[in-house]
Amino acid sequence: MIDAIENSAYAIWVRESPSIWAFTTILSLHAMGLAIIVGINTIIALRLLGNVPSIPIYSLRKLYPWMYVGFTINAFSGLSLLAANLDNDVHNWMFLTKLSLIACAMINLELTRAKVFEDPLVVNGTGVPASAKRFAIASLVLWSLAIVAGRLSEYPSFVEAWVGF
Amino acid sequence: MVDAIANFLTSGPIDEFVATHDWAWPLGEILHFFGMALLIGSVGLVDARILGIGKGIPIKSLERFVGLGVIGFVINLLTGIMFVAGNPVGGPQEYLTNLALQLKMLCVLIAGLNLLAFYALGIAKQANAVEPGGDAPMSAKVVAVISIVMWFGVIYFGRFIMYNDTLLYAWGL
Repeated sequence: MIDAIENSAYAIWVRESPSIWAFTTILSLHAMGLAIIVGINTIIALRLLGNVPSIPIYSLRKLYPWMYVGFTINAFSGLSLLAANLDNDVHNWMFLTKLSLIACAMINLELTRAKVFEDPLVVNGTGVPASAKRFAIASLVLWSLAIVAGRLSEYPSFVEAWVGF
Repeated sequence: MVDAIANFLTSGPIDEFVATHDWAWPLGEILHFFGMALLIGSVGLVDARILGIGKGIPIKSLERFVGLGVIGFVINLLTGIMFVAGNPVGGPQEYLTNLALQLKMLCVLIAGLNLLAFYALGIAKQANAVEPGGDAPMSAKVVAVISIVMWFGVIYFGRFIMYNDTLLYAWGL
């Protein structure tokens, strides 16, 4: 199964084509998608933590689709890079940690939408639910750790030297 | 000029520090990614709002996050200098003559001049006067498009630095 995916025409193209649109552009798109979703999330989180109160929190809900633009770019580019290097990646615990952190961050993103952005206080612009700060801090921690794990997954020998596995 | 910059970068302790501390490079990369997200989240979001995304957000208030983008930029300038000075393969010369890195720096330069124009030409003032829900003037939109294209260009060519050959091959160089 893993071999079949790694040796599929698409995976081979991603990994081995000298085309500018293959591996390196896909890798670049992955960084851009990250910047979009984490960047927007950071600003929303900082607002929920009380910064720049002149921004109506409810006006930030329109940024959710754009976070999903970033997420979609990264789901596509990430699956492409994964297919090209599947056998290595599935045995890289730091990479699997990154995926778990992203899953938690996305759940937190949707919980924030449901519990904060759909709260009548926020919709009417009269206040913020007490949970908003907890969701904001959770999002900053989860996305930061996802970036840390993502970078470290590129340095398995460094991780092994420091952590022992 | 490349040699002069390279000599300057290796005249300090940076290259030796990077060579003798295995955590310096991965930590630098982590910080470089944080800086990137801060820059795109703040500056990129102001650009997006000027272009009409999330019109309910007041531009003037959103602009207060640009300071965060400056922090992100400084983090990336410092970690970037560390990468060039401490490059384990080929030293600074290898990076300074790298086409992808040169194009990345060109994008940074244009983005910087563009930002300067945004404030110096009074375009920021006009943009700040836009009410929530309002449409930004065309001059601000031009600045915003240039800004977004340049900052994403920085990311694009940034990732190509390690794969410079792909770029040279594509352009027949």
